[in-house]
Amino acid sequence: MIITNNLTKKYGDFTALDHLELRVKEGEIYCLLGANGAGKTTTINLLLGFIQPSSGSAFINQLDVQENLLETKRFLAYIPENLMLYPSLSAVENLDYFSGIGGKNLNKTQLEEFLEEAGLQSDAFHKRISSFSKGMRQKVGIAIALAKDAKVLLLDEPTSGLDPKASNEFGHLLQKLRAKGVATLMATHDLFRAKEVATHIGIMKDGQLKQQFVADAISLSQLEKAYLDTMEYKTIAS
Amino acid sequence: MIRKTINKELKELFRDGRVRTSLLIVLLLLGIAVWISSQQYQKTNADYAAAKVSEREVWDNQGEKNPHSAAHYGTYAFKPKYPLSLVDQGVDKYVGTSIFLEAHKRNEAQFSAATDQTGLARFGDLTPDFILLFIIPLLIVLLGYNAFTKERELGTHALIKSSGAKGWKIVLGKWTALFLPVLTITVVLLLLAGLVLSNLQDYGVFQWNSLLVLGLVYLLYYAVFTNLVLWVSQWTKRSGISLVISLSLWIIACLAAPKAASNIAEARHPYPTRQEFAANVLKDKDAGIDGHNPWSKEAKLLEEQVLAEYEVDSLQQLPFNFSAYLAQKGEEHEAEVYFKHYNYLKEQYENQSGTYRSLALLSPFLPARFLSMAIAQTDYATHWDFSDAAENYRIATQEFLNNNTAQNTRYGEIGYKATAAFWQELPPFDYNPPELGQILKNNRSNFGILGLWAVFSFGLLFFTTKKNNDVTI
Repeated sequence: MIITNNLTKKYGDFTALDHLELRVKEGEIYCLLGANGAGKTTTINLLLGFIQPSSGSAFINQLDVQENLLETKRFLAYIPENLMLYPSLSAVENLDYFSGIGGKNLNKTQLEEFLEEAGLQSDAFHKRISSFSKGMRQKVGIAIALAKDAKVLLLDEPTSGLDPKASNEFGHLLQKLRAKGVATLMATHDLFRAKEVATHIGIMKDGQLKQQFVADAISLSQLEKAYLDTMEYKTIAS
Repeated sequence: MIRKTINKELKELFRDGRVRTSLLIVLLLLGIAVWISSQQYQKTNADYAAAKVSEREVWDNQGEKNPHSAAHYGTYAFKPKYPLSLVDQGVDKYVGTSIFLEAHKRNEAQFSAATDQTGLARFGDLTPDFILLFIIPLLIVLLGYNAFTKERELGTHALIKSSGAKGWKIVLGKWTALFLPVLTITVVLLLLAGLVLSNLQDYGVFQWNSLLVLGLVYLLYYAVFTNLVLWVSQWTKRSGISLVISLSLWIIACLAAPKAASNIAEARHPYPTRQEFAANVLKDKDAGIDGHNPWSKEAKLLEEQVLAEYEVDSLQQLPFNFSAYLAQKGEEHEAEVYFKHYNYLKEQYENQSGTYRSLALLSPFLPARFLSMAIAQTDYATHWDFSDAAENYRIATQEFLNNNTAQNTRYGEIGYKATAAFWQELPPFDYNPPELGQILKNNRSNFGILGLWAVFSFGLLFFTTKKNNDVTI
C-alpha cells in the first residue's frame, strides 16, 4: 500500500530525508518514531505530494505519487497534528464537505453513522466545530477517513496534546481501521502509544531510518532503550 | 464537488456576523437609494410634463404677433428624465434640463440640478449607481479577500490538498459562492427598478431589454472584481495582506483611475473657456450676414445676388419680403457658426472620451461607468444628441417664422402680425433619444474593453490555478 524507494529530500546542503526504504502493507500500522527534525513529517509530506522528492520515489496503492498527484489522494486520508476544520460549520457539515470534495456524496444518515463509528457523541454531531476539543476534531478526522473509504491513512503526531483517555480512544479507532485493511503510517513522539497500536515501528534520526521492529517482538522498555540509544541520549540511571 | 464548495462557502459567509451586517447595510443603502431616485424621477418628470404643456400653451396663445417678435420671445426645449436614470443618473445633474430656443442664438442647457444645490452637493448623492459601481465592488473585496488565505491560516488547506479535489473545481466553487450574493443583490435591485418603472407609464418608454443589458454590464464588471479579488487571495499568504492589496486595487480602479483619466483627458484635449468660446462665436458671426443689419457688406452682396436672380431692380419688386429673407439667411449663417463651434466642442468631447477609453485598460470601472450611463441615456453623448435636436428644432422654428413673414409681407412693410392660429402650426419639439441598438453600436469599444478585462482576469485566475499544479490552496 505504502512504498518508498530511496526516497530523498534535500534543502540545499541539508538532507531532510535520506534514501528512505519503507513498506506498509494492508492492515498494518507503522509508527515512525524520532525527535523533531528526524524526517517524519517530511516523509508524510512526500507521500501526500505536498513537496517533491530530490530523488527516489513514493508509491500509494501502486501509483507513483509524483506522477499521480490527484489519483493517489483518492486512496488516502490525512490527519495532521492539529486537525483544523471550519469552526462555523458543524461536525456533520464539515464531514459532508470534506467527503464531498473527496468524491463521496453522502446523505445525512450516512454522515451521522460515520461520525458515530468514529466515536463522536451524537449530541455533538450538529454543534459547531468551534466548541470542539482537539480529541473531538481528531474523531471527525477519522470519520472523514472512514467516509472516504481510505486505503491509506497518514497521521502526523495525531495524539500530541490529547489527554490519555482521548489518546486511548484514538488508538482504538486506529485498530478499527486496521481491521478494515487500512494501511496506516503514523509519525509520533509517543513511544507508549506506538507500542500500543503499531504492528511495525521504525526509529528515524537525521533523515535516516535507523532501526525497524515488529511491534509484538519488542517490549516497551526495549523500545525505549532502542530509541534512546539511537538518539544517543543517556538515561538518568546511567 | 463544486456544489459542496458553494454550499460550504455560503454557510461560512452567512454565519459570519460581519458579512451579514455588510450585506444588510448594502441592501438598506440600495433600498434608500432606489426610493430617493424614484421620488426624484417622478418629481422631475411631473415638472417636465407640466412645464412642457405650460410652455406650449404660452406659445400657442401668443395671439396676433409679428413672427420675428415671437422668434425673440422664444420657447423652451425640455429634456425629460429617461426611465433608467432611476438606476444611473450619470451627468444629468450637471448638464441642465432645458434649452431656451430664440432667434440668432444657440443657448446651452440650463437649470441643472447641481446649480440648485448648496456646497453640500460636493459630498455627492446616494444613488443606485453609486452603490452599484462603488459599493458592490467593495463588498466583493470584503467578502472575498480571505477566500483562500483563510484556508491557509486556519489549516484546512492541508485537508483540501489531501482530498484529491481538483483545484479548478475548488476555485469555481469559491467564485460562484462569492458571486451569488452580488448576483442576488443586483437582480433584486434591477427587478425593483424595473417594477417601479413599468408602473410609471406616463414618463418615458421603459424597456426591459435595456435594463437587462444594463444588468449584464454590471455583472460582467462584478465578475472582473471577483476574479481579481480571488486571484489576490490565491497568491498572498496572509488575509491582512490580501485585504490591503484588494482594497488598493479597488481604490485605484474606482477612485484614482477615473479622476486621473479625467485630468489627463482634460489636459490633452481642453475645452475652451466660456469667454473664449463666446468670443470665437462672435468673431465668426460678425464675418457673415447679420439678419438685423441690411447695410452690412454681406447683406448688400446678398441683396445684389437676389435682385440678379429674380431679374428685378428693387427689393420692392421681389415676390417676398427681403427683410425676412435676410433674417432667415442671417439665421442660417449663425446656425453654421454655432454648428462649427459646437462641433469643435463635440470633437473635444470625443477626443476626451477616446483618451478615457484608452485609459480604461487601467481600470474596469471606466468602461462599466461609460456603458452604464450610455444605456441609462444619462451620458454626455445623449445630452449632445438632445442639444443637437433642440438646435435643429430652433433652426426649423426660425425658418418657419421667417418664411411666414417673407411670404405674407412686402419689403418695407411694417407692423405685420401673424394670426392667432398660426403658432399652433409649429410642430411641438419631440425628442427621441437613441435606441438601445444604436447605443450599443456606439459603445462597442467600451464593451470590448470590459470584455478584455473579463478575459484577462479569468485568465489570471486560471493560470494561477494551473501554475499551482491544480492544487490551489
